[in-house]
Amino acid sequence: MTAETPNTEQPRVSLTRGDVRWSFWLWTFFSHANYNYERLQGTAFAQAMAPIIRKLYKDPEEIKAALKRHLVFFNTEPNVGGVIHGAVIALEEQRANGADIDDDAINSVKSGLMGPLAGVGDTISQGTITPILLAMGISLAQAGNVLGPILYFVLEVGIMLSIAYFMWMQGYDRGREGVTSMLRSGLLDRVILGAGVLGNIVLGALTAQFVTVFVTLQVTIDDASFQLHELLNQVLPGILPLAFVLLTWYLLARRRVSPIWLLVIYLGVAMIGAFPFWGDQACPSILNPFFQPDYCVPPPPEGAAFLGG
Amino acid sequence: MERLASSRRAVGAAVAVSVAVFALLAMAGPALAQNGEGETGVSLFQAILVGIGYYLSNSPWLAGNGGFFGLYRPLVAGFLVGIILGDPVEGARIGAAINILYLGFISAGGSIPADPSVAGWVGTALALGGGLDAQAAIALGVAVGTLGTFIFFTRMSVDAVFAHWADARAEAGDITGVSRMNWLPPQIFLFIISFFPAMLAVYLGSQVVSDAIVWLTDNAPWILSGLQIAGGLLPAIGIAMNMRFIFRGSVVPYFFIGYILAVAGGVGQEGGALNIVSLGIIGVALAFLHVWFVGDRVVQSRGA
Repeated sequence: MTAETPNTEQPRVSLTRGDVRWSFWLWTFFSHANYNYERLQGTAFAQAMAPIIRKLYKDPEEIKAALKRHLVFFNTEPNVGGVIHGAVIALEEQRANGADIDDDAINSVKSGLMGPLAGVGDTISQGTITPILLAMGISLAQAGNVLGPILYFVLEVGIMLSIAYFMWMQGYDRGREGVTSMLRSGLLDRVILGAGVLGNIVLGALTAQFVTVFVTLQVTIDDASFQLHELLNQVLPGILPLAFVLLTWYLLARRRVSPIWLLVIYLGVAMIGAFPFWGDQACPSILNPFFQPDYCVPPPPEGAAFLGG
Repeated sequence: MERLASSRRAVGAAVAVSVAVFALLAMAGPALAQNGEGETGVSLFQAILVGIGYYLSNSPWLAGNGGFFGLYRPLVAGFLVGIILGDPVEGARIGAAINILYLGFISAGGSIPADPSVAGWVGTALALGGGLDAQAAIALGVAVGTLGTFIFFTRMSVDAVFAHWADARAEAGDITGVSRMNWLPPQIFLFIISFFPAMLAVYLGSQVVSDAIVWLTDNAPWILSGLQIAGGLLPAIGIAMNMRFIFRGSVVPYFFIGYILAVAGGVGQEGGALNIVSLGIIGVALAFLHVWFVGDRVVQSRGA
């Protein structure tokens, strides 16, 4: 329906599924192509609206107004937030067909929903799905399985694109009210809750697999000597890494210590732990030089092959 | 007129930043290259591929998500660098180790706390080309990743200019022009500021890293031991960063369940009874049960 007469009496212009889908792909590809401090995803929103504007408006002044309308500041999570674009496309379609929808109405949908959906979206995509899949891929890769990164990539991108397409079409089909009711229904809360269960289990497993804390303090009572590390492990296998991660979490989340500071401190602790205060140390071990210069525990799992292939 | 003015400003800014990047590298280059040629280094062709990979991870060309959620992650980057340098298994292992630090990585509101992608691409290439093992490579990756934020901030600042070019096209009612301003100039600029630094850092840096390791092995092996120990401590930060978001409310106990199961089942160890996939299945099952039994209560209390 590309009528060359724009302003006749009842110029019903309607979008096809293909227009909405084309707009979706433009956004999915280019949402962060021109990410910048002034507008963030502003120009990307305009590019996504290009096929819609081209189809709906024929009058040059209306085209100009529509382009300007969608070039303003915009920022949300690109996949879950696609529901906003869907709703805005539906509004533009109604507006082009004579409904009384002014710039403010469209702007308020964009600026009103982008914040909440950025919050929910980042929690779902960057905060739960990504780290859970990453953790699985990391664990497999560490065991020498190259399916780790491959599976991560396929699953992650597949899931993200599915969410993005679903949300976009939901927004278009159900409009602004649909978006609001979806946010209120508690469905997203349930997803986040379930992901929290899985995420915590996986983080616990990563702690066991990747965090290594070693104490080489040796306690000598009469003639019997005990290695503190082994004593602690008899209380609970792997108690030190667990305690160390909980301490780190406490410092980061409760005491608001900056992660950069922690990086520096932990690097410093590692270097001090390795420094041979009393002559040569054949093997690295934290606190070793401070307490028992002659005692050395071989480093845990992999061995200390620095010059590997 | 306005378009001309803004374009001149943009070209000026783009040139200034590019010149600054090149000047830095040109000054650092000879100093780095003095260490001569060795057999462990990275070839120019391999360095170019790594640079392209790093650009792609920031670009829109892989359906957006394939970049930011794919190649941007050190796990994937490390694997691809491994393919480029001829050792995918070790590359994936190094990338995985580096990636743990960025498990809590979230980019929100136009800022990033670090650049995992440059840590993955350049960090893995330097570690693999220089002969550093996975655990010791973590600290190297962190250092590179922190420097990488410079590229992101440059891009975020300069790209604002292209938004003004788009304004000018909108004033002319040029739909295609507005669209083009969103991808063509910013991507050319991004290529310049991401490809060249990454490529040169890998090409010139891998020899430096391998020389440094040889020197340290002879003169100060404790530094390498320290890096190894740090490789055991630093993942705690990545894990705890992520725990900030999910270690709360009714799901806290599952962290301990996961930990005990992983220790008891020997996850990640050769011949372990459980691996991460079996834990994942247990996790999904428990997630269903949890949502089934307490989901309503949690959702209601949050909504009220």
